[in-house]
Amino acid sequence: MIRGAGRASARPAPRRRPRGRWFAIAMLAPALLGILVFFVYPLIASLFFSFTSYDLVSPPEWIGLRNYEYLFTKDPKVWSAALNTLWFIVFLTPVKIIMALCVAGLLARANRAAGFWRTIFYLPSLVPPVASVVAFVFLFNPGTGPVNHILKVFGIEGPLWFNDPSLSKPSLMLLGIWVMGDMMVIFLAALLDVPKDQYEAASLDGANGVQKVWYVTLPNIVPVLVFSLVTGLIASLQYFTEAAVASGVASGKATVGSGTATTLGYPDGSLLTYTQWLYVRGFANYQLGYASALAVLLFIVAAAFLVVLLRRVDAFNPEGAK
Amino acid sequence: MQQRFTPRTGRRIAAGIAGAAAAALMLTACSGDTGSVDVADEAPDELSGTVSLWHFFTDREASVIQGVVDDFEAQNPGVTVEVHEGQDDEKLRKVIAAGSDDIDVGLSYSTDVVGNLCSTGAFRDLQPYIDRDEVDMSQISDTVQSYSEFEGTRCTMPVLADVNALFYNKDIFAEAGITEPPKTLDELEDIALKLTEYNDDGSIKRLGFNPFMGMYENTAAHFGPAVGGKWLDDDGYSAIGSDEGWPVLMQWQKDFVDEIGYDKLQAFTAGLGQEFSADNAFHTGQLAMTIDGEYRTAFIADQAPDLNYGTAPFPTATGFEDLYGSGYIVGNIAGIAKGSKNPELAWALLKYLSTDTDALVKMGNGLKNVPTTTAALESPDLEVSEQYQTFIDIALHPKTATTPPSLVGAGYTQAFGSYWEKFQAGTGGNLAEGLAGVDQEINDSVDLVSGP
Amino acid sequence: MTITDTRTLLAPGTAPRPVRRGRSFFGWVAEHTVLCVLAVLFIAPIVFVALTSLMSSDQTLTGDLLPDPWQWSNYREVVVSTPLLRWFGNSALYAVCATVFMALSSVPAAYVLAKIKIPHANTIFLIIIVAMLLPPQVTAVPVYIMWSKLHLTGTLLPLILPNLLGDAFSIFLLRQFFLTVPTEYLDAARMDGASEFRILTRVVIPMAKPGIAAAAIFMFFGSWNDYYGPLLYASENPSWWPVSYALATFRGSHGTDWGTTMTLTMLVLVPVVVVFFFAQRTFVEGITLSGVKG
Repeated sequence: MIRGAGRASARPAPRRRPRGRWFAIAMLAPALLGILVFFVYPLIASLFFSFTSYDLVSPPEWIGLRNYEYLFTKDPKVWSAALNTLWFIVFLTPVKIIMALCVAGLLARANRAAGFWRTIFYLPSLVPPVASVVAFVFLFNPGTGPVNHILKVFGIEGPLWFNDPSLSKPSLMLLGIWVMGDMMVIFLAALLDVPKDQYEAASLDGANGVQKVWYVTLPNIVPVLVFSLVTGLIASLQYFTEAAVASGVASGKATVGSGTATTLGYPDGSLLTYTQWLYVRGFANYQLGYASALAVLLFIVAAAFLVVLLRRVDAFNPEGAK
Repeated sequence: MQQRFTPRTGRRIAAGIAGAAAAALMLTACSGDTGSVDVADEAPDELSGTVSLWHFFTDREASVIQGVVDDFEAQNPGVTVEVHEGQDDEKLRKVIAAGSDDIDVGLSYSTDVVGNLCSTGAFRDLQPYIDRDEVDMSQISDTVQSYSEFEGTRCTMPVLADVNALFYNKDIFAEAGITEPPKTLDELEDIALKLTEYNDDGSIKRLGFNPFMGMYENTAAHFGPAVGGKWLDDDGYSAIGSDEGWPVLMQWQKDFVDEIGYDKLQAFTAGLGQEFSADNAFHTGQLAMTIDGEYRTAFIADQAPDLNYGTAPFPTATGFEDLYGSGYIVGNIAGIAKGSKNPELAWALLKYLSTDTDALVKMGNGLKNVPTTTAALESPDLEVSEQYQTFIDIALHPKTATTPPSLVGAGYTQAFGSYWEKFQAGTGGNLAEGLAGVDQEINDSVDLVSGP
Repeated sequence: MTITDTRTLLAPGTAPRPVRRGRSFFGWVAEHTVLCVLAVLFIAPIVFVALTSLMSSDQTLTGDLLPDPWQWSNYREVVVSTPLLRWFGNSALYAVCATVFMALSSVPAAYVLAKIKIPHANTIFLIIIVAMLLPPQVTAVPVYIMWSKLHLTGTLLPLILPNLLGDAFSIFLLRQFFLTVPTEYLDAARMDGASEFRILTRVVIPMAKPGIAAAAIFMFFGSWNDYYGPLLYASENPSWWPVSYALATFRGSHGTDWGTTMTLTMLVLVPVVVVFFFAQRTFVEGITLSGVKG
């Protein structure tokens, strides 16, 4: 384990050669500059813009807290957008993880042709997200898609899927499950990495299958599960592309002249996530000041989440790797 | 992890914040070049140079525009027009807002941008050019003029328009023994219910008319003229809640939906063919009547030439019969970007596209959109079929209405549309309260953008 | 947690296993039935897309499952009538440049953060973690304004250039890898009088090749599949469209053109799958090592 720099300087250290330090600065400089320009500056600038009214054409105009007042009391869509995002945070990643774990579990037990199975389940995650969304919306089209046609063969009346406000999010969840391949591969490796002797010891102690899973398997793969959960939750917080493309394609509406933003959220605002609403306000309505206020709120929520995270999760501890 | 916040660190952080704020201010203060603002006393005798035209058309329609552009170049040797096609409103705004001189003339699909672009000067004020060159504005109807200017500032010229009317399938009418298209909403509903057929399992096979909001061209704006529905008052605030017509129209529509059944209509609508494909439900006969724009005649001629159909002004509600013959009109608008380096050339192109009769007729014929000057509308070269004549008449009707430009762009129509969809689903509550809520939402939106 | 036996992940099922006593035949059949069903469900969408790509546009709107006739000309149509090569070229340019720039800027930075004692190293790394986990929309507006004033919107440059100044996720990943390089090698090289730079290039980088490959894969495919970035910066300029964005634009004034879209989807899929088959080893190693080490 590497000790942090703070502690290292507390004990007498050999004098560092000057060129070591210059080297370090030179190697780090581009990244530091990058952090400054693309992280620190925009964060502060967003805060600044959130107190202005700015449409990019004329200079920004200071309006104090008016954006925030509108955000919390008058914006008709922001809270439903936040709820939609929350839905994805709560449901999408956990379901994906469970599914990936189950499939990985099955593959771990399969002896022959495991590489073949793994390829089949991994392949969908290689598909560019836009392509997979478009394909799914097409397949689940209530009138002309193959899925409803096959259901009809079994005598089931196919639902409206992406065109039904109450089914659109679950439909995207199906898509999320379809592309769980990269998560599954990680889980598979973790499962296979569990020391065999622990299983044997458990067997000797008389543990049955379920107990082995609970007492041997799970504790060993928890770090990987946690890592996937965290990155998945962060991804859900910013969920944009799949929902935006699904709305656009499912609405089937011609976009003549008006742009992407007119179809966001279809059907009936059910797929409008927080980041899409930010996009609409900022880049379709050109209310960049208001969009900045939305961004600041997003930052506060994400930061709060991160603070909790960084305290708890070892993997993100800058002290070192486990 | 140790973090000692000494005064030194605190000062550094403060300095950082101040620096970033200053950087942000500086960056945004330079809001792009403004091309020369002065308008020359006289139009130049000869035009030369390059001018760029950004528009939203694609494919076949873009080639129609290209034809007209070629004519302009032929009339003005020494001028090259750089055309950027497929540019929707979002993209237009991005390019104008960047203040670049890449764009001279921008042609927008809708009037959504007029409010903002006129009030901020992103599109130049055209009045000096109009006065200097003595452009005859009386050629353009009051309604069309009203949607191409904002609060007295004329920053765009209209170029072609869309008009909506009722389309009806003559064969289906004949089968049922109906000879005349409906003139009132009640007649429309009667005929529609008569022509509606069901499958054995109860689902809809054919609709006389689909009242479902959100299908194809069923929008509040298009239905509004049936009751003369007013959108905004003179101050730019919502006039929806206080208008007499909207509640009448909304109640009629909801009753119609309930008569057939909301769920059935929703399922039927979701399974209909795409609006601009050959599977359009009116083309296939799944809809006996529908409301649509004049461009539909071109699509029918192209995709369903055997369809025996007629057109008529859209019916009006009881108590609003004097409005019959009018309809909804809105159109493309074009302006000169403020960053344009060659405004005289841009104006020449813009004037050509919006007032030259031959150009308008050519575009009107190619795109099957309605021209916006009287001269072009009455031109013998304009191809007018029997069905197309309806649209010309509506365009010339004095009571034909539009949706006014606003600082919130399409925000107010979207707010009303969202509520109407809730109302039709039965979740909209009390109508009067709901409309008051729509007013509030729109007014709040306007306040957000219109300054302290 | 480290992977001790890479054999296990590259060829699952070949690692030494304890003898499974009592594992019934029925268990085996049940497991494999489930696997088969799932596999069919997972492959089905791709099969449907492939079949649809061979249908005529009119037929795509019907419920037919099999094309009739098999219109192979669709592929030629799409290649000929769309700027497909340009789109692929843009995607390639974006992905390759972003990856190369990332390597140039992030590898040294990650090494310093991992192996060199400098003041505030932890703070810097913490900031990097926050930058990595923060939704990009939080910083999108001011960054967009900045590029707009620099007149670089309408291109993919705002997406490519920032990688010259490091990429947070890559730095995070690479640092974790560099941490596993035993310091003894570095000290030995220093004793031999090697410069820090030589240590980095001759000792550290060769030892961390899997890690660098993993970071490169993430960067490459992240850029290849990026939709939000091009939407924001390149949408008004079709000559800069990457494939990921172009695919979503086949809803022109006439509704979604399913036939062409599906054909294009297949064309987009094929290179990705091909690359995967050739680089399978690196792929899986990279994904796994990153997920497990992170």
